[in-house]
Amino acid sequence: MDTIEVKELTKFFDKDVKAVDGISFSVQEGEILGFLGPNGAGKTTTLNMLSTLLRPNGGTATINGHDILTEPDAVRRSIGYVFQDPTLDIELTGRENLDFHGRLYGLDRNTRQQRIKEVLELVQLTDRADNFVKTYSGGMKRRLEIARGLLHYPKVLFLDEPTLGLDPQTRRSIWEHILRLNQEKKVTVILTTHYTEEADYLCKRILIIDFGKVVVLDTPNKLKERLQGDVVSLTFKDTAAIEKFRPLLEKKEWIHKINVVASGNNYAAMSRMMQTSPQMVNSMVDNEKTIQEETSPPKDTEQAVFEKNIQFSGEQCSKCLNLLLDNGGHRIPEIVKLAEEAKVILESVELRKPTLDDVFLSVTGRNIREEEGSFIDMVRRHRIMRQARGKPTRN
Amino acid sequence: MVQPISKQAIYVVFLRELKRYWRAKARVISSVAQSIFFLAIFGLGLGSFVGDIGDVNYLSYMAPGVIGMGLLFGSVFSGVSVIFDRQFGFMKEMMVAPVSRTSIILGKILGGAATATIQGIILLVVAAIMGAFTPSIALVTGAFAAIGAMLLITSGFVGLGVAIGSTLNDFHAFQLLSTFVMWPLFMLSGVFFPIDGAPLALQAAMLADPMFYGVELLRWCLLGSGTAILGPFGWLISLTVVIGFNALMIGLGTYLFSRAQI
Repeated sequence: MDTIEVKELTKFFDKDVKAVDGISFSVQEGEILGFLGPNGAGKTTTLNMLSTLLRPNGGTATINGHDILTEPDAVRRSIGYVFQDPTLDIELTGRENLDFHGRLYGLDRNTRQQRIKEVLELVQLTDRADNFVKTYSGGMKRRLEIARGLLHYPKVLFLDEPTLGLDPQTRRSIWEHILRLNQEKKVTVILTTHYTEEADYLCKRILIIDFGKVVVLDTPNKLKERLQGDVVSLTFKDTAAIEKFRPLLEKKEWIHKINVVASGNNYAAMSRMMQTSPQMVNSMVDNEKTIQEETSPPKDTEQAVFEKNIQFSGEQCSKCLNLLLDNGGHRIPEIVKLAEEAKVILESVELRKPTLDDVFLSVTGRNIREEEGSFIDMVRRHRIMRQARGKPTRN
Repeated sequence: MVQPISKQAIYVVFLRELKRYWRAKARVISSVAQSIFFLAIFGLGLGSFVGDIGDVNYLSYMAPGVIGMGLLFGSVFSGVSVIFDRQFGFMKEMMVAPVSRTSIILGKILGGAATATIQGIILLVVAAIMGAFTPSIALVTGAFAAIGAMLLITSGFVGLGVAIGSTLNDFHAFQLLSTFVMWPLFMLSGVFFPIDGAPLALQAAMLADPMFYGVELLRWCLLGSGTAILGPFGWLISLTVVIGFNALMIGLGTYLFSRAQI
């Protein structure tokens, strides 16, 4: 039996908006699974249901063999949860926060002392343990929370956006801690993130979630292999050049896909609308899905559908073309020569490997980072960052 | 849903309240100082103008009421602090632990009652030093009785605070709470003037104020049963009302807290 088994889990906060829409998946023991998706995709809601904080409207799940509906206490003992927003008592010291947690989980004095020492070492906070948490930097607070989540030796650890609002260096060190505890403690981890590079680096498998549904679940490499080859980005002098050059490229059979850079499909506008009239957005999304279902020939394999929808992430650019092709480095001279012959002026050529950003965009049709427009998100980010800046860092 | 009670969880939440109280020195000092101002300025200043009430001087008359004020404000605010626990996220840490909400809130109520009572004891000592009470053996036993009464009064008002804190979702409502709940409860509790002489409408309002009975009880404990300044009810009725209010508020606070969204 897998450590986590989720069946048809559903949650709606009002009739029209399904926050989580019948998702199913399972996680093996010792695995790190990443939930990747923009804010509002249903990641935190799913974790809240799995941790018995929220009661699902449908479906269920088992964690470490315990059902979330019928054995909530056993589930709570089996999990550690590091929430997205800080949940430390800043008026207490680091050690006192851990001690409080140990007592809540019914650990006796000796066990508490020994484990507190152990988890403090694991996250390298031993020398700051007796300082008040209000003097900690953002990264130290995060590490303390991770240590706390491990104190009762959970089988499963939930990390909700573990590095949100942290600087790149601190983020890197949190990543190393997560990997280390996964290896040393054999703890199964579900983490949510909207940083594709974080999911790529940490996770054994990635579950892309959008509008409360599982879009795809696979290993980072398998996901990237869906975009076989290299991405070559061409920038032209003007849009007219694209119109002239594109037909020539289309004749080359070694180019798998030609695409203009994603025109940024108005996620910000959509999220604004989501706040004012969620029904409308939902019905738009539903309509879009039915249209897609109707128009795509039923015989298409999953990969064929995927290839049809390939898009590339990057700056919005009307004078650019993105190509997906094999052996990109060797083909560049050929492309340049072709441009010269056609008397088209190329301003720049760029070669890169496909990233999870491209995969995400291709499977969901939207850019993962285009949700900066959300007001609530902005406020939260500010709050976290302000706290993160608080005091001198000692990472 | 059945909610088993865990002694360990009650204890740890209780412990946290004490620790936080102990460390918030500024809060302790400012509330003690506030009560001293009341006693010194009103008790001595207004007292010299008003003279005696019944058979005690004005300072003695006011002292149990001012102690009651410390109890009232201390306990309601520590109950309402569930809002801050929620705001600053710590509530989630408690909610995801394998303990019932009932245990958490009972710990909170016990902790709040203990800290507010400590505050009350400090005020009791301060008032004694200022000469509010006649030294006697009866005063010593009365003081112990008063401490028991303080625990009863405060746990009820922490319950009220929890009930309010679980219903209100933002702490901008704090100002409203202070103006429309705390101050009326305090001023109608008979701290400044005896109920007999007040207009009828005011008397009715005072009788509806649970804190009125608390102050009566404290007055009975600290000034002695023989004084003529006690209101229309004896200590037994006051005690009954205090216990009834206590049970009602702890029940209400627990119920509303267990239903609240985190």
